[in-house]
Order: sequence, then C-alpha cells, then structure tokens
Amino acid sequence: MIRAELIPAFLIHRRAFKNNSLLLDFLTKAHGKICLVGKGIRSSKTNIQMFQQLNISFSGRTNLKTLTHWEVNDQPRNMTGETLILAMYVNELIARLLSEQDPHPKLFNIYQQFVNKIVAIDKQTSYWLLRLFEHNLLAELGYALDCSQDIKQHNIDTNSHYEYQHQLGFVRNPAGKISGKLIGQLLLGSVDNMPDLEQLRNCRDLNRQRLNHLLGDKPLKSRELFFSKQ
Amino acid sequence: MIKSLNQAFCILPGVGSKTAQRFIYYLLEHNREGGLALAKALTGAMEQVKHCGICRTLSEATACEICDNDKRDDSQLCIVETPADIHAIEQSGIYKGKYFVLGGYLSPIDGIGVAELGLDELNKMLSKQKIAEIILATNATAEGEVTAHYISNIAKQFDVQITRIAHGIPIGGELEYADINTIAHALSGRKNYD
Repeated sequence: MIRAELIPAFLIHRRAFKNNSLLLDFLTKAHGKICLVGKGIRSSKTNIQMFQQLNISFSGRTNLKTLTHWEVNDQPRNMTGETLILAMYVNELIARLLSEQDPHPKLFNIYQQFVNKIVAIDKQTSYWLLRLFEHNLLAELGYALDCSQDIKQHNIDTNSHYEYQHQLGFVRNPAGKISGKLIGQLLLGSVDNMPDLEQLRNCRDLNRQRLNHLLGDKPLKSRELFFSKQ
Repeated sequence: MIKSLNQAFCILPGVGSKTAQRFIYYLLEHNREGGLALAKALTGAMEQVKHCGICRTLSEATACEICDNDKRDDSQLCIVETPADIHAIEQSGIYKGKYFVLGGYLSPIDGIGVAELGLDELNKMLSKQKIAEIILATNATAEGEVTAHYISNIAKQFDVQITRIAHGIPIGGELEYADINTIAHALSGRKNYD
C-alpha cells in the first residue's frame, strides 16, 4: 500500500473514465509522472485544472492508484491562445517521454518555472523559454548536451559556428548554422539572454532533431496544432 | 441468454454486473411488456439515428429538427463539443440560432488533432454559408480553450464576429465556494451593471 499526503503536483492530462470519473496524469516532485483515478470527480463542483500547482493525496496497492484529496496551492493563471498551445505541447512532451513513477524533482521545478514565466512574457521570449525547457527536459532524461565544449574538447568559441552531430555534440564548422553564441546562451539558460530570431529557429531545429530521436515515428500532435495554425 | 443480456447491459456507463442483474430480473419478472418496448425502441434508434448532414448532431433525418427549422436564425452558429451540449443549451431556451457539433475536442496527448476532429467540414460550411456570428461554446477546460482558439483562427479568414461563452460564478452559487480560476474569470469578464 502506497499512500501520499498533500504532495506538490501539476495535472498534465485528463481523460474520461467510466461514468463519472477521470484518469489523471500528474507530474509530482516525489513520484515523477503518476496516473491516478479521480473517482466521481467529473461532476464535482470544483474542477481540477492544468497549469496550476496542486497538493494531492493518493493511495492504492496496484499500479493505478486513487486520488483521495486535492487542493489548489497556486494563483489563477489565465492561459489562452498560443500560450496555451505551447503549454499543452510541454505537457505532451512530459506525457510521452517520462516513465511512470520515475522521480525527477528537478524537472518538477523546471516545469513550475515554465508555467510561471510563460504567462508573463511576450511571444518571442515564450519560444525561447520553450527551447530552454526542451533543453532542460532532455538533460533530465539523461540526454544532456555539452554546451561548454565541442566534441574535440575545445571550449566553445562564441564567435564561431558549429553543427550538431547526433549523440556526439557540437563540431566546429564555419558553414554550420548554430552560432557559438547560441550554445553559450543555452549553457547559461537565462530567459533574459535571448538569441536573435534566426538563431532561435536554429535552436528549434536542433531541439527537434534531438527530441525526434526519442519520440520515434509518432509525431507530436500539439506540434501539428501549432504549425498548422491558420 | 440471461448471461448475454447481462453482458449487454454492462456496456452502459455506470452499470456493472450487479445492476445489470437487477435490471434483468425486474424486466423478466415484472415488466416484460416494457422490456419488449425497450428492445424495439433501442433497435429502431440504433438502426435509424445517424448524424445530421449539416450540424453533425444525432438525428433520424438527413437534416436535424434544428437545421430544418426555418424560424431559427441562420446567421448565428454555436459550436459545441457533443450533441449533449446542444441539449443543455436548448434547455436554457435562450438561443435561437443553429449549431455545429465537433464530436470532441483537440487533445494532442490522446492523438486527437485537427484531422480527427473534422474541422475541414466547419471550414467548408463557413466558406459556403453567410454567417454573422460564431459562438464558441466548447468546455471551459484547457482542451476546450485550445479548440476554441483553433476554430477562431479558422473563422478569422471569413467576415464573421467570433464570440466565446462567458465563464463565471454559477447562478445560485456562493462566491466563497467558487474556485480561484472561476473567480478570476468572473472578475476579468465583469459587465456594466444596469
């Protein structure tokens, strides 16, 4: 029997289950991604929502445990439009890439910072925030990218250009698209220190290349939603 | 035969083997006539009810009662997730326009994207028909909001007013017990009091 009392969590996904219940995927600090049954929760007066920090209690013996109590421990966050699509994309990444009940306390903090910041910044900065999230997520999953050195173990030169070689790292190449400055900005990981539009696009392609390897053949649906937007 | 009937009842939401057993004994012992009428009604509905060719709600005819009604306002189109939502709005009696049923919502994690939801049909409908206002009545969930946002992007190509149903404190509800998101929405969407 596993029991948890009021642990910090974010709701990642919800889907209908039986007549009046929901299957809920949470990202928790202590248990990583966990799927719980919320019995009778569909018709309850207070609705459980995504993108706000909750405290949840659950118990159970089997893999599928039951949510016994939850409360909101956050301020309201009004996510609409494109911001909401970006946040849904992040949730899809977590749902697809994290294994059940594999704790990633650092990732929880990264996610928390992401939802806090995304509602307070402009469009271009939100893209950069997303790239940083992907970068940190990959590092948490064990696919960190060395941004301080190239594959020949020379320090990254901010005035040079590089290309990315899968699973190896950066190779210095004057014709490469990725600037040394961008690599430095990724290493720094600050939202305020943002690359220009062109490098932001290169960073998107770099992260996509790294993520696609883990995602396999099944593409991300929210990505399609974002780019097929009319 | 009783066993297979039991299994058949179990497909209903909220009905388990025990409840199914109670249904069966009641029908067999006390109300065979009602049981036969139920079977007949169910067969008829399962065979004949289809989706309306215009709004995609459940309907026996090619065009449902609402789409076929000349007195309803053609210039207003209310977009809902399910046929049950139409029923809910119709009960309020306030809306006199027409509907479009999506049959779900955009849910990337469940693999439901633009193609799965058949938004192309809506696009075609908007390009063919002259509609003055689109009312986005998807659920007040994150998925419902993303769906509303996507549809508003489709509708922006056409000369149409796009509105979203209001979210706020339920009638008869107490502020103290409302959740913070609802209160935040209710405050930001407040109206002049006259």
